[in-house]
Amino acid sequence: MIRVRQMKKIYRVGEEEIRALRGVDLHIGKNEMIAVMGASGSGKSTLMNIIGCLDKPTEGSYELDGHDVSQMSEASLALVRNEKIGFVFQSFELLARQTALENVELPLIYSREAGLTSRERTRRALHALDRVRLSDRVTHRPNQLSGGQKQRVAIARAILNKPAILMADEPTGNLDSVTTTEIMEIFRQLHAEGQTVLIVTHENEVAAYCQRVIRLRDGLVLSDLPIAQDQAGQVIA
Amino acid sequence: MILSPYFYSQAIKLALSQIWANRKRSLLTALGIIVGVASTTSVIAALSGLKTSVLTEFESFGANRIYVFPDRPDDKPRNLYPREKIRIKPWEVRELQASCPSLRAITPVTEFGVSIASDERELDGITVVGIWPDWHEAENRRVISGRKFNRIDEVGERQVCLLNESAIDELRLPSDAVGSHILVDGRRFLVVGVIETLQARMFGGDSNTAELFIPFSVAIKLQSTEYFLRVIALAKSAEVSEEAKSEIQRTMRRIRGIQPGDPDTFRAEAIDRYIDQFKTLASGITAIAAGIVGISLLVGGIGIMNIMLVSVSERTREIGLRKAVGATPAAIMMQFLLEAMVLCLAGGLVGVIIGKLFAIGLTLIPGARLENADVPMWAVFLSFAFSAAVGLGFGFFPALKASRLDPIEALRHE
Repeated sequence: MIRVRQMKKIYRVGEEEIRALRGVDLHIGKNEMIAVMGASGSGKSTLMNIIGCLDKPTEGSYELDGHDVSQMSEASLALVRNEKIGFVFQSFELLARQTALENVELPLIYSREAGLTSRERTRRALHALDRVRLSDRVTHRPNQLSGGQKQRVAIARAILNKPAILMADEPTGNLDSVTTTEIMEIFRQLHAEGQTVLIVTHENEVAAYCQRVIRLRDGLVLSDLPIAQDQAGQVIA
Repeated sequence: MILSPYFYSQAIKLALSQIWANRKRSLLTALGIIVGVASTTSVIAALSGLKTSVLTEFESFGANRIYVFPDRPDDKPRNLYPREKIRIKPWEVRELQASCPSLRAITPVTEFGVSIASDERELDGITVVGIWPDWHEAENRRVISGRKFNRIDEVGERQVCLLNESAIDELRLPSDAVGSHILVDGRRFLVVGVIETLQARMFGGDSNTAELFIPFSVAIKLQSTEYFLRVIALAKSAEVSEEAKSEIQRTMRRIRGIQPGDPDTFRAEAIDRYIDQFKTLASGITAIAAGIVGISLLVGGIGIMNIMLVSVSERTREIGLRKAVGATPAAIMMQFLLEAMVLCLAGGLVGVIIGKLFAIGLTLIPGARLENADVPMWAVFLSFAFSAAVGLGFGFFPALKASRLDPIEALRHE
């Protein structure tokens, strides 16, 4: 599903070179649920941006769903994001003046699927909202929703186009522990329904919902272990 | 990259909701466009109203009227062009009448001074005018009582006459003079009608002179053989008056046997020279108005650019999100261009409405000759076209800036 080989990313800031990724190899299979962890500066964000097709690697290859996307143009990457990747952000990123339904429909504006009727768009958006158990809030605007409900709208938007991979960047960072459980249950349920999920987090409780944990340090993979072994290692350390 | 109709409908909807959400700011931003469009459309409305009333004035004065005079060519020896050679003869007028299809009416006019007398009074040196019945149509003067001249008066050389009101006064005739008799050069003439007194118009015209009209056939008998005449002709419409003029020139040269290269021995002139002058003036004013609108649209455009830059910066995170869910740079660019254009077009619409209201206001000013002031359709279209162009032109840079935002940076923006 995702295959990353010897990926390097070098930023140039003036005279200085910053090596954010120094040769990462990674394989993510279909229907995995993975936590990505690492301190700030570990290269975690850079890796996620490249996997999310928001950025390109300086070196190395990145194969997504059978296609090498590492050297695609900006416009082509936009299409890949539209069709294959769903993003969930820490601060929800909902459009304040639009209803939950309109927020969920947003990716369809940029879809290259021709001739979508408004009825079909609404049907898909309602289905996505149903999967995050928010069918009773479709006409609410973000300011009428709780934090957990906002994040569920954002998840519905992310899964609307049935993405190959659902990427969440600290999805519970702005939520209390009860709501965190609620959101993580949604991710677990989507995973149970066959969705590949990649969650960036620094909380072990969040990682505990995943099957596998990838830890990064200084632009390299530090460890890549099933959850049980990873958590055991953490206890020892 | 093809954007779906759904994209466009959503982008326009979004643009309208942005304008509505920031309505005060939008109004202030669009003010330059509004003022520019409103002032231009009202100036154009005033001009078009003035044009209509002036052209109507010319029309009544004779926009489609053509005068033909005998004329001795300049810088030619007098003896080559004696008076008799250049004098217009009645048969030439009849020939013009037969050969110029663009004419509606044509009449010879001959004037001479005689003494006239009523029972009450005798007047010397009164100008008597000999005319054909067509004169009524060519000069467009109303007969306020009695009747006009007809063909029988002309062909039968009947001793009948028309007077104006000053002539009636001066001759001390009863106010309803029709049926009275007067003496013209010792002959008895029946008054058959009263002609309205010439109204003072924009281009003058003496209203208080006594006037006396008699049939042309009678008038030439009262004069020496070498009498002088001019021709008044009326083209079928103002549009064909140029054509009528050239028909007259061709016919006159033909019947006078003037060789190509030789000068005319007559002169044909239409009034539309004045109309052309007025039109030149009007288009000059329109050009100045266009210049003003250019400046105000430039100022308005800078306002638009400024507010669009503010909008791009305020909505950086939104742009980042849109890019993350699949918006291409072209889609973001198009969205902001549409937003700038919708803002400008909304300003243009308000401007046109204000201009229209101004135009209605102008028609209500008494005595301003602007009863016909109205914003013509072409000015409305032009206003919208200009507004859209300003949106496109000044929205381009902000839209480009938005389209080039890095989605990662944009989503991190505070």
